[in-house]
Amino acid sequence: MRSLRTEELILNMGPQHPSTHGVLRLIVTLDGENIVEVQPDIGYLHSSVEKMMEHRNYTQNIALADRGMDYLSALVNEMAVIRAAETLAEVPVPERARYIRTIFMELQRLASHLLWLGTYGIDLGAFTAFLWCMRERELIMDLFESVTGGRLHHVYFRLGGVNEDLPPGWTDRCREFCHYFLNRLDEYHQLLTGNPIWQARTQGVGVLTRDQAIAFGACGPVARASGLAWDVRKSHPYEVYDRVDFQVPVYTEGDCYARYLVRMDEMRESTRIILQCLDQMPPGEVRAARVPLNLKVPPGEVYTRVESPRGDLGIHLVSAGGETPWRVKIRAPSFVNLHALTEMMRGWKVADIIAILGSIDIVLADVDR
Amino acid sequence: MTALLKRTAAALQGLVTGLGVTFQNLARPKVTLMYPLEKSNVSPRWHGLLALPVDTETGNDKCIICFQCERICPSRCIHIEATGKGKERLLTRFDIEMDKCQYCGLCVEVCPTEAIVFIPHYEASTYNRANLLYTLEDLHRAAPKEPVARGILA
Repeated sequence: MRSLRTEELILNMGPQHPSTHGVLRLIVTLDGENIVEVQPDIGYLHSSVEKMMEHRNYTQNIALADRGMDYLSALVNEMAVIRAAETLAEVPVPERARYIRTIFMELQRLASHLLWLGTYGIDLGAFTAFLWCMRERELIMDLFESVTGGRLHHVYFRLGGVNEDLPPGWTDRCREFCHYFLNRLDEYHQLLTGNPIWQARTQGVGVLTRDQAIAFGACGPVARASGLAWDVRKSHPYEVYDRVDFQVPVYTEGDCYARYLVRMDEMRESTRIILQCLDQMPPGEVRAARVPLNLKVPPGEVYTRVESPRGDLGIHLVSAGGETPWRVKIRAPSFVNLHALTEMMRGWKVADIIAILGSIDIVLADVDR
Repeated sequence: MTALLKRTAAALQGLVTGLGVTFQNLARPKVTLMYPLEKSNVSPRWHGLLALPVDTETGNDKCIICFQCERICPSRCIHIEATGKGKERLLTRFDIEMDKCQYCGLCVEVCPTEAIVFIPHYEASTYNRANLLYTLEDLHRAAPKEPVARGILA
């Protein structure tokens, strides 16, 4: 009996493919239906944000960080850029502004994870999840809109505080939303967590071991699903994260299901942080006086990091003493997590490409910058 | 035979439960909006289109030609020109390229006289790119009739 002869096939997924979540091209080498290798080809959304930042002053860079980097977590990007400048220039920040910033970053994390859950549901054929997540995300967008004036791009944080104080009644609306959202989170668990189709598509798929996660420098939920308890909010607390009580969910399986569970648990913890901040928030000023919009940052070099919904977002800022930065380097979490893709994909089938790629939660604007 | 009956009963029960959810949601308030017919209400702080409100007493706008908005704009889309000196100073050009504008609101923030404001309007699409160059007349016309008081509104 003659053995069946097979030959490798190279398949292009993207750049215009709805399941690659943006303009990402995957060069997939296939043997039949089995994946031999996957090479991501990036750079289709490169916008040279780092260079553009050198031509704008620090206040203008806030508006740029909203758009040019990870557009699904705009407020966290603002925080990253601002934190670097504030650390170097030693700008005082009022207590109330710190609490407001923390609340908004956690709301942003909820919005980002909800969008991820919805689109991941669509990737795996659960359309209801998308509609439910969008419904709750819309409420967060409305909360944003009544404070910042924007829904996706806020330009709300400023050097030395935030732009405007919260409108009256906003804290009550936010608290009401948090309690409502905790019930909805149970609903998502009922819909997806025990679902046999969901489990079959995600459990044991795309395993990234703890050693591999460390070797690739993976961060955020991808690392925490592989048993790596690494969260910048715990290890290098900024704003008021050292004053609130929250857990860092860690799973050891390292598969897509664990990544899903990490994000689900993170949403619950984020809600807890918001509720605690709302209780602890003191009255007072929200913006330090005498911080000019064209602040001159003293010469020096600083590396600061914040925990974005996708992981460890670092900014390396070099200032030569002028109104604009001399050099900015952005350490983007999506870019680093995308490295681990090749290792996760090896040996799985074509249908699993979407499941594994979706579970990393990349934003291509963040990958290419 | 009994097994078939049991299966049928289970299927019917599933159907009734599923339709129950459907009918429950028919009675609930809807979350969607019939967009072009109904418009959503935006918050008072909404970053919408820009306008130069006209002062009802003087019949002119409040701009004192300090060029702060032109300088702070990250996408450099505001262009101001003026003639004369002192009391004779006159605004001859105030153009905003709305296709470049990124709605960051820094111009509204720096304006010392609240001469440039956001209006709660969000439909700017047009068939021709040239329509997105808003001149002084356009910005006056777009301004709300009532005086705008930012900061007092919630």
